[in-house]
Amino acid sequence: MLEENTQESIIEATALVEEETQELTRELSTLLEHNASEVRSQWIKEMQGQGLLAALSPREIEEQSKAIYDACLLCLKTGSYEAAKKYAASMARKAVLPTMTVDQIIAGLLILRDVYGRFIFEWYQKNPIKWRNVNSIYEPVARKILNIVASAFVSERESVIKQQQEAVKLSTPLVGAWDGIVMAPLIGIFDSARAKQFTETVLEHISRTKTEVIVIDISGIAAIDTKAASHILRTIQATKLMGSDVAITGIRPDVAATLVTLGVDLSGIVTRSTLREGLEYAYGKLGLKVVKT
Amino acid sequence: MEKVTIPILKSGDNLITSPQIALHDKLAVQFKTDILQKIIETKAKGLVLDVSAIDVVDSFLVRQIGEIATAANIMGAKVVVVGLQPTVAMTLVEMGFSLRGIHTARDLEKGFEILQKIGRR
Repeated sequence: MLEENTQESIIEATALVEEETQELTRELSTLLEHNASEVRSQWIKEMQGQGLLAALSPREIEEQSKAIYDACLLCLKTGSYEAAKKYAASMARKAVLPTMTVDQIIAGLLILRDVYGRFIFEWYQKNPIKWRNVNSIYEPVARKILNIVASAFVSERESVIKQQQEAVKLSTPLVGAWDGIVMAPLIGIFDSARAKQFTETVLEHISRTKTEVIVIDISGIAAIDTKAASHILRTIQATKLMGSDVAITGIRPDVAATLVTLGVDLSGIVTRSTLREGLEYAYGKLGLKVVKT
Repeated sequence: MEKVTIPILKSGDNLITSPQIALHDKLAVQFKTDILQKIIETKAKGLVLDVSAIDVVDSFLVRQIGEIATAANIMGAKVVVVGLQPTVAMTLVEMGFSLRGIHTARDLEKGFEILQKIGRR
């Protein structure tokens, strides 16, 4: 008997036609609108119970919970998620709720989903079939909203990563020391991506300007391994092919020891201990001399 | 098909050549033969090979350039390759192109300077 009943209700649920869906959506959104303060205070209570709102002032709680509640309701009512997307993006940018962490926000929204779900259940518990139909409208909306929020945080994170990668590009400056002399101080971690970018920058610079000598200072490099060493060597070889002279400076004792242990062949490459001596070499190459007046 | 040749010019004791078209395999071999022939004919002491117009190289062309340099060296002419494009320079390094016996310079002018310097030695 029970089985039959379930079967029937499934058929009813799937047979829900367009007009009925619209009718039910209207009914549900009106219901949630009318009981907004009740549902919302229940939501806030549960969030406070879990300590999610500890960092917020009462005014913030009031304003933001209302904004989120209304945004969700708007999604349900209009089927348009633009407002929710905008709100989620500003949340991800920390423009709103800056003191809440990602997991706190997601937890808060999950609670809201449960509060809505329970409210709907209590309201329609006398009519299981209608409850099921209402749920089939409510659930996709809730899923989509959570999806939007999660995606907003992910894409914000991605754009931050991208910005940092751009910053890495800028972190390989080529400094003109004199006409035809360029200094390239390497700082931080020298990995493959960075090496490739460095080589390209250097070669482009050489072909564009009349660089005679390039002084690469590696005193700022955290650590050097075979890969980083071979990248630097390749850059030097390519630079030489283009007709410029290269000097490496600032090889720290530990780096020198590592290079020797790794068996990196630095023969044929000019090395100087300090940038000062490297520049001296460069000036000498151009027939210049630094004198004290 | 009309036969294409790359001009090899003489200036004093030196030869200058600057391929302006893509050097496909056959043409590259022809080019090499022409250069070596010209070195014999003119008794040139130096050769400036301007590759600024070449922006793509393959392993075959790289080998031909290497062979030109080595052979010219044996015949008593110093070779200076000038005007390597950044991408080409990178490719050469990736291919493990050896710099031995070959001088490189940024442009034609620098190339001649280097030849003069070597000649004086």
